[in-house]
Amino acid sequence: MKLFGLIAVIIVGALLLSATGDFPDFGDPQSPASASPLSTHYIEGSVYETKVPNLVTAVLADYRGFDTMFETVVIFVAGIGIIAVLRAFGTPAAELPEGGGEEGDDDLIIRTTCNLVFPVIQVFALYVVAHGHHSPGGGFQGGVMLGASYILLALSCGLPAAKRRLGERQTIVLAAIGVIVFAGWGVACVLFGGNFLDYAALDPIIPGDVQMARSHSMLGVEIGVAFTVTAIMFVIYANLSTRGRLRDGL
Amino acid sequence: MIEFFGFLAHQAPLVTVLAPAFGALLVTLFGRGKAEAGLPLALISLSLSSVGAVVTLFHVLASGGELRYRLGGWAPPFGIEYRIDALAALTAAAVVLVGLVNAVFSKTRVAAEAGEKAPFFYTLYLFLLAGLCGIVFTNDAFNLYVLIEITSLTSYALIAMGNRRAALSSFNYVIMGTVGASLYLLGVGYLYIKTGTLNIDGMRAAMAEAGIWGDASITVAFILILVGLWTKMAFFPLHGWMPNAYSYAPTAVGTLMAPLMTKVMVYVMLRVMLFAFGADFSYGGAGCGDIVVALSTVAIVAGSLLALARSDIKKMLTYLIVAEVGYMVGGAWVGNEAGLTGAAYHILSDAAMTFCLFMAVSIIVLRTGDHRLTAFTGLFRKMPLTMIGFTVGALSMIGLPPTCGFFSKWYLVGGGIEAGRWDYVVALLFSSLVNAVIFFRIFERAYFGEMDEPAPAGDDADSRPSQPLERVPWSMLVPLFLAAAAVLLVGLFNNTLAGWLRAALAI
Repeated sequence: MKLFGLIAVIIVGALLLSATGDFPDFGDPQSPASASPLSTHYIEGSVYETKVPNLVTAVLADYRGFDTMFETVVIFVAGIGIIAVLRAFGTPAAELPEGGGEEGDDDLIIRTTCNLVFPVIQVFALYVVAHGHHSPGGGFQGGVMLGASYILLALSCGLPAAKRRLGERQTIVLAAIGVIVFAGWGVACVLFGGNFLDYAALDPIIPGDVQMARSHSMLGVEIGVAFTVTAIMFVIYANLSTRGRLRDGL
Repeated sequence: MIEFFGFLAHQAPLVTVLAPAFGALLVTLFGRGKAEAGLPLALISLSLSSVGAVVTLFHVLASGGELRYRLGGWAPPFGIEYRIDALAALTAAAVVLVGLVNAVFSKTRVAAEAGEKAPFFYTLYLFLLAGLCGIVFTNDAFNLYVLIEITSLTSYALIAMGNRRAALSSFNYVIMGTVGASLYLLGVGYLYIKTGTLNIDGMRAAMAEAGIWGDASITVAFILILVGLWTKMAFFPLHGWMPNAYSYAPTAVGTLMAPLMTKVMVYVMLRVMLFAFGADFSYGGAGCGDIVVALSTVAIVAGSLLALARSDIKKMLTYLIVAEVGYMVGGAWVGNEAGLTGAAYHILSDAAMTFCLFMAVSIIVLRTGDHRLTAFTGLFRKMPLTMIGFTVGALSMIGLPPTCGFFSKWYLVGGGIEAGRWDYVVALLFSSLVNAVIFFRIFERAYFGEMDEPAPAGDDADSRPSQPLERVPWSMLVPLFLAAAAVLLVGLFNNTLAGWLRAALAI
């Protein structure tokens, strides 16, 4: 079996290498991917069309916003899939009594430090979300940091402490709302006479000119992404670390 | 008023894809642990989606060619666009209609098998259907990948919700499916390096403009994408994940995925061959047409023989799907109009007949509590209605007129003869023969078998249903009859359908 795997790897590797010969040089400005009208348009035009200086966000959340919406759905579906497979409903005493035993066992220094760091991480995460269309960042990155802050809390003070801040039902609702914000934004564009996710159609209700409507809409959908990513990060951690029982945890 | 209808017709493709997606989100929000929660929302959203698909189909036919829809309002190379021709509209309609009918069929089973997790089950179910519709409509190679990812993730989770063996089968599928999707993505990456665009039509145009058909990287990209898709569609010998995954999955998942997943992937293969690379390259420049037809011949023969050797009913059907995938791949690769029409027509006809057979077999396994061929003993007397549905599906598999199975074989055999691929033609006829043996063996047992022959003790208790049905509810029989009717209708209207498909594939 291992030999068979090795042979398969060698064949695929040879196939992949054989094709690299006629690739454009690394960093070649004249390569099709760099010199195509597509890249040129994104680089030169996006700031005028969307008033978003971070052109990665412009491509991600506007030109190819439909992809990003489904990427958010991928994350949502991953979380729901983990719940559907792992979560052990109906186990008696799924909730430990408040202030359950394991909370006091942890080290005081770790708990205090993590409690201090917790708000700082969250504020920075919110900045990353809110400033994502102007500087590196965005909904996915900020969402992961927000999710990580809850995971840190669960690691240092126990899962019940984290669950008091973000309960199981709340996480699922938050995740769904995130996708609804994104997709609903697209539907709003349809209701105002544009195509799906054509933010320009929202110009009448968003202050500023058409380009600002696009810019603000990107912020809106990024916030939706952040909701979903935050919730699903925590769902994945909580279910995997407790084998779906949502008790104790690591 | 006319403007309003124009608006609705314009947005119909979007409704088809997004209605199940919003349905899924609302199920998550409002379904709370109750077994029946989610079903009404699933039915409503899938009905909406079906209306959208049918309106799209009529709109495509009325416009006499193709519809395009710019997502985000951006022109094609910059944004993502939908491109919907008759083949896409028909496939999408098949997807949502199967999803809707299957939701009715499985309503009692979801409550029994998923229990408290029913709302999550429906969330995944609806996103799977939304993803499949999106795959069918999109004209963007990367958007296609994202949607493949959604359909894969949802189907892994749905399969793993089955009986005790399902988790391991699902894990096998995760490994195989991930390899397949990665190969597809690598191929798309190569194409992007060489063409600088992700739009499927744009890729073909860019390659034609630069005249890079002879480059090794284009051929490698083509092979990578094809092998990736073949893994996803269970093309022999890449079918290893399928039999266990489909037979151990929850009832509702087996009956949903068996008719849809492989067929949609065949559709994607047609799109990639004809639209991303173009017929000239696929049948000429790539130089692998003969090999692929030979591979599909092997797939047909192997799938049929493996099916013949099975005593587990559902596994037997999954091996028949392996053979059917061989039909479609071969038809797509013989490289003439008849073969292509046959492959495209078989997407619809195979969806109808696999759906019909899987529903009938699910009912029989649940009712008798036996998952082997012995379950059929004396069934024509005991369950005459279910057996009518089963017989229609079986006759279509064998290929008797006027069922759709006959006509798809007619086109495929015609294509094989025209191309002079006698090995493929013989394999098709051989497979018909084997199917006849398989199903007439079952009919014999069902007609003449003694009813009270004691069922042998199953050696694997895990694959037996936990709660056998006391009686077969109408909510299962009516969907079965609908599918049987679809088998006959797709067959009777084969000329019309083939005409639409021929027009869609002529490029």
